Amino acid sequence: MSGIFGVMTTALRNVFTVRPAFTTMILAVIVYAALYPQPYLNEALRNVPIIVVDHDGTASSRDLIRRIDATPDVAVAMTQPDMVSAERAVHAREVSGILVIPQYFERDVLHGRASPIALYADASYFLIYQRVSGAVNGVARTMGAEVEAARLIGAGVDTGLATAASDPMPLTAIALFNPQGGYATYVLPAALILILQQTLLIGVGLIETSTNSPAQKQQEPQAGAIQTLLGKWLAYLIIETPAFVLYLIILPYLCGIPRLGPFIWVLVLAVPFILAVSGLAMAVAAAMRDPLAVQLALAACGLPFFLLAGFAWPNEAIPEGVKMFAIFIPSTSAIDGIVRVSQMGAMLSDVRSQVLTLWGLALLYGAIAVAINARRAAGYRAALARSATVAD
Amino acid sequence: MLPRSAIRPGFLLVFGRELRWLKRRPLLVVLTTVLPLALMGLLMLVFSQGLATRLHIGVLDLDGSDLSRTIVRTVDATADDAVAVRVADLAEGRQKILSGEVSGLLMIPENLERDVFAGRRPEVVFFYNTQMLTTGNLVLRGVSAAVPSVAAGIRLSLRTAQGQPIEAARSSLSPIPVQTHPLFNPTMNYIYFLLAATLPTVLQIIIVTSSTYSAAMDFETNHRLRILRRLGGGLWPAFLGKIVPYTFVYLAVLGTADAVMFGVLGLPLHGSRGLLLLAGVLFMLSCQMLGTLLALVVHPMSSAIGIGALLTSPAFGFMGIGFPRMGMSMFAYSWGACLPGTWYLTARIDQIVRGTPADLSMKPILILAGFVVGLTGLVALKLESIRSATDRRRLSPPSAPPSAQMVEVAP
Repeated sequence: MSGIFGVMTTALRNVFTVRPAFTTMILAVIVYAALYPQPYLNEALRNVPIIVVDHDGTASSRDLIRRIDATPDVAVAMTQPDMVSAERAVHAREVSGILVIPQYFERDVLHGRASPIALYADASYFLIYQRVSGAVNGVARTMGAEVEAARLIGAGVDTGLATAASDPMPLTAIALFNPQGGYATYVLPAALILILQQTLLIGVGLIETSTNSPAQKQQEPQAGAIQTLLGKWLAYLIIETPAFVLYLIILPYLCGIPRLGPFIWVLVLAVPFILAVSGLAMAVAAAMRDPLAVQLALAACGLPFFLLAGFAWPNEAIPEGVKMFAIFIPSTSAIDGIVRVSQMGAMLSDVRSQVLTLWGLALLYGAIAVAINARRAAGYRAALARSATVAD
Repeated sequence: MLPRSAIRPGFLLVFGRELRWLKRRPLLVVLTTVLPLALMGLLMLVFSQGLATRLHIGVLDLDGSDLSRTIVRTVDATADDAVAVRVADLAEGRQKILSGEVSGLLMIPENLERDVFAGRRPEVVFFYNTQMLTTGNLVLRGVSAAVPSVAAGIRLSLRTAQGQPIEAARSSLSPIPVQTHPLFNPTMNYIYFLLAATLPTVLQIIIVTSSTYSAAMDFETNHRLRILRRLGGGLWPAFLGKIVPYTFVYLAVLGTADAVMFGVLGLPLHGSRGLLLLAGVLFMLSCQMLGTLLALVVHPMSSAIGIGALLTSPAFGFMGIGFPRMGMSMFAYSWGACLPGTWYLTARIDQIVRGTPADLSMKPILILAGFVVGLTGLVALKLESIRSATDRRRLSPPSAPPSAQMVEVAP
């Protein structure tokens, strides 16, 4: 037992004394906590500027422009007389859409004919396109329903019936878990888990590669391979607890992100997650042996790992082979499981497969680390024995 | 061993030394070249299906009428949605959403058909999961296209039943139709955008950290800096000889990735090749200079590399790939403006996706050029100050107390 605690205290000391590890596991965790949420804090795009080319210039067309400008999503930045100058403004990124109101817009509405308008929206950024087209289509629909009801009433249909006839079966869409469709609420819970994984992965990788010189090995407490693993696991659990509290409770609270699940259930996923990540780090470190290589390789993998998690890109659309590979990355199951439990209020029974996968990964990577450690230790002992015989 | 006179100091000597150094470290070469390409390949696989279609939703049909079955069929027929399960009550539907089996639940109320034809305006309700925003928006898109189209059929039949001619009835369905044209991306395919945007993010991390490392190897102590200066026959040829080999390596990586994107995947390039290449070279040089500056200013090397990674790893968000920069707070907007990747990405999207006219695409390229000039200036200032400090020390009498840097030089 003392072996385990010896290893644990050494590992804890390493976190603070191996300088790059300290930078990654403590400093970076604090800096990222402040820095990372910044781009998303506004939650939603508001007042996306668009340009209006009004060929009609009537009371109706101006009413339409006013209503579009009044939506929270877009703002009419300017009106231009022709398409050419409007297109240049889109290319220069001054505006993100062009709304063309053709001549005789009002006349056609009053005539009872369909009176189309044209929207050219910048689709190179998905969110911008969604905002612009959503706002303009919404206003056109509302205005169209009013026109239609007015026509029916004019034709002598009862008011109540006229509204019913223009919209007999309304569709009510209810957004669950993130009712305002906020970007921070969407991306942060998942991204924060990924940051926890990356800092722990790189930190442990740096400790393992920086402390494997023979001189340092000699200072390490003598312990069996399994005891070494357990001791290190214990140390990283202790180190990561405040980080997890900061990232999964305090930060979401400060950013105003709703949370439905109890934290104690999150722990059921977080513990095997930490074990799996540190196990993976030990295995990677044993394979690479070079601190710089560990830092380079793992830092570059952050974004791809995130896209593999089936969070940003729907899981159904990811090919089976890639999904099989993604299972071996702890963040895949951890993001899915922790987000479901903490953001959506899922029961533990709903995330059983994620919990089991994480434990499986922890055991797998732990076993690999033990195997490598045991082989190293055997090699080290053999070398020691050889040098002893030479000395004799 | 060559005689001393055979060694000609200069740019080429340092250049060759750097290449030999790389040859001895295959792991680092693999990490700076093969890794970004492998990650790109992985992402191409992830997105290989193209658009995300037939996402699973559940249905709770409390009506069981002709109309409700028509709605379910129409929803199932959209490209976005596939009706995966039918549930018996809301609790079961909730559980299916929580476990991730479905991303939305369509609820059709009791007596829907009867109430619709009686003009009572019953509501069809769609619950969708916006915690997964992309998936949630996609399943909503299918339902919000299908349900109104069923409703339009009803509206049409209500009118024709009243004796309206079919053309008049149809035109009155939608008095103000909007013809929406997605500019620059007619198929609304964001895979190319994501692929084109991922590479700069990954490369920025790799270039800054590896440049910090390579620079720190020679700049960390004044002694090594002097050796480098001797080898290069002056500070500037030596400096160039150290920087240029890596620029070629990174250009080869970027070139390979782009060749695959344009050649194999057939991604159209709407803008100018020359501007894209120019922006790429400027981006690499500014990342290299940033790494070099970190190596000069921050000691020891491991901390400099750590800070480089710290600056570049969260860049994805600030570069405005997911959430556009125009919606960010002042701080996030300015922070993003300080990253070379932001401007390279702007130039890249301008040239690849938007086909921006040349005169309007100069802004990001000029800013990148500004980065290169500014950062090179800072590196030069720092190097000159180190040189003059060293020269001063060499001229000063040996009795002078050793400074901290002298101690560092001592073996």
